[in-house]
Amino acid sequence: MKKIILFLSIFILPFSSASAVNWSEELGDHSGVDLKVQSIMDPYIDAVKEISPTFTSVTGASVTVEGFGYDGLHEKQIVACSQGDSSYDVLFVDGIWIGEFVEGDCIAPVEDLWTEEGTDMSVIAWDDYISSFAGQAIWDGKKQCLPFGGYWHMLHYRTDLFEAEGLEPPKTFDDVLAAAKLFKDNPKYPELEGGYAMNMARGSAAGQQFYEWIYSAGGKPWESNYPGSPDAYADQRGLYNSAESVAFIEWMQEMINYMPPGVEQYAWDERAKAFTQGKVAMINNWSVRTPLFNDPEISKVIGKFDVALFPHAEGASSVPPVGGWIACVNKHSKNIDAAWDYLKWFASPEVHREWVLTGAPPSRHSAMNDPQINAEQPWTPVLYESSLRAWQELRPRHALTFEVIETLGIEVNKALTGEASAQEAMDAANKKIDRLLKSEGYID
Amino acid sequence: MNREKIEKTLFILPTCLFLLAISIFPFIYSVYLSAFQAKLTKMHRKFFIGWENYQILLFEDDVFLTAIQNTFTIAFSSITIEIILGFIMAKIFFEIRHLKISNAIRTISILPIMLTPLCVGLVFLYILNPTLGIFSYIVETFFGLEPIAYLGQPIPAKISIICINSWQWTPFMMILLLAGLMTVPNEQYEAAKIDGANWYHVMTKIEIPSILGFMLLGIVLRLIECIRLFDIIYVTTRGGPGIATEVMAYFTYRTEFRSFQIGTGSASAVIILIISIIVTTIAVTLLRRVERDADFS
Repeated sequence: MKKIILFLSIFILPFSSASAVNWSEELGDHSGVDLKVQSIMDPYIDAVKEISPTFTSVTGASVTVEGFGYDGLHEKQIVACSQGDSSYDVLFVDGIWIGEFVEGDCIAPVEDLWTEEGTDMSVIAWDDYISSFAGQAIWDGKKQCLPFGGYWHMLHYRTDLFEAEGLEPPKTFDDVLAAAKLFKDNPKYPELEGGYAMNMARGSAAGQQFYEWIYSAGGKPWESNYPGSPDAYADQRGLYNSAESVAFIEWMQEMINYMPPGVEQYAWDERAKAFTQGKVAMINNWSVRTPLFNDPEISKVIGKFDVALFPHAEGASSVPPVGGWIACVNKHSKNIDAAWDYLKWFASPEVHREWVLTGAPPSRHSAMNDPQINAEQPWTPVLYESSLRAWQELRPRHALTFEVIETLGIEVNKALTGEASAQEAMDAANKKIDRLLKSEGYID
Repeated sequence: MNREKIEKTLFILPTCLFLLAISIFPFIYSVYLSAFQAKLTKMHRKFFIGWENYQILLFEDDVFLTAIQNTFTIAFSSITIEIILGFIMAKIFFEIRHLKISNAIRTISILPIMLTPLCVGLVFLYILNPTLGIFSYIVETFFGLEPIAYLGQPIPAKISIICINSWQWTPFMMILLLAGLMTVPNEQYEAAKIDGANWYHVMTKIEIPSILGFMLLGIVLRLIECIRLFDIIYVTTRGGPGIATEVMAYFTYRTEFRSFQIGTGSASAVIILIISIIVTTIAVTLLRRVERDADFS
């Protein structure tokens, strides 16, 4: 039934007089083109596959969507770019990789494409994007790609457990710690393996975790990067070993005692699975995975969870992490016109809405305020508030981002597994990251 | 040049060209790149920095130095375990060689070598899972011990990697040592029996000296393999926790294909190659000396 509604709502749109965009006029004829889309294997990929045939019906171009793991996708895309590979036409890129892709001359900037073509800007509707996410697609002052899959972090907690204990959803780090302590090894809840789960695996997982929390911990990763900073990259001297950073790592060291065994190897999937399987009482998680907790095929917590704003340290305020995926045109593609048409169609407000209704994450103001989306994804009001509080420069987005996050992730993981103290680990992280940035001339 | 010499040169020319193209040129290019600060995304803007990559890796980068240390710790520990267990297994198979079933058991016992290290890593990832793994279940049920993150804590992770590596390659050592035992003349055993030698004397005075050459060959081959250890680390720990299981090959992969620092990655690859050559040369020299001593005795 859902598919029929989706089909009717999308397929008839190009021909409907009520439709906001006349797709037949807006999009070209690309018969015979096999458009290849390279995507992350995130939960939204099925929704992309589900709606793409509509593009085929309008333009004649067939669409193949292929998914890869996070690290594998980055590796493949950069290697392919360095070889001038045209195998994929549309690249779904993590917003934080944008600097590296621009530096490598891997993408055709969308701002150039729409200027050349004289695109109807109501199709792009840039102002409809939530600014904390739209900023992910801008680099060197130019709009490089179209944002489509914005993620924000929310605190996910088990309402049944919190109600049973008479607890309010945690607001501060202290609340989180107290609740985690209460639920860990509590004989009343034998199914729980921990009170909380975080990304603690070495590398990207632990590195990103640091950036996700540091602003709400009252700190900042480098001198000029703080919410509202007019130029986050003006002074990139690291503050990874500041008092706030070290205090946050020490807090994580305490938190690890109330997490499931093996959490030192948890990354995104493990963290979400622990919550889905009812093994932990709380997690902080990207909104893209929230619908999975209501999926009857995999979830044991349907109707037993709710979301809250990302917690913050005493005296600090909540700065929810922002991330997500932007759609870019491969500069080496042989089908740039078709790829650009796919992008503007896929990221447009009306297709975005349908995509979200298929279970994907909303990224536009219009989608966040859509009554149907709010009815189907009841966490949307908290998500919207999170998105408005988020800071777009959460993680570095320059060409060294992957290396910086990986370096940081190794040191954070060392502190969490007892290989180093919090101060030692963060001193080492600061030194190594500064050296990296110096080697590329980002700092003197 | 006479006709015969021209003919001979023409015959070896394709091999030389082949070697030049697939071995020598990439190596020389790697050495060349190691003298540059080069990132894959901006190769056109690479610049010459001389020995700096080597200097950083060998004197400043604690992760790379730890990776060298870990590689040799894992190599020596694994090979020691493999020799001890391999010898015990070889002895057992040697003793039961007359039984019909021995061939079948021997074939089954070498199955781990046939598995790809990636599969072995995946299997052990599940076995050692602290909440769902069978190892945790056994430890908890039969010994009453709380399961721990075997791959998530520094020392257990290192021990786990050594055990996984040894599990896969002990059969290889067993086959080599069994082949060695098969070469010991039966008369020596009979003479030892007549002289009243016990098992320990047989092992130390007859068997080990006879199979020393086989053992050294196994050590050389396994050392080369351990220096290149990558797959199991990639699947199970990715060098973690922290840098507890970071090894040279994984460090190089990370530098080349995750950070795309081609200059540093190439320097790291060249260092691995030099270490491999040194270690192999020492081991082969030892092997030759043992063989020479055996010929004289």
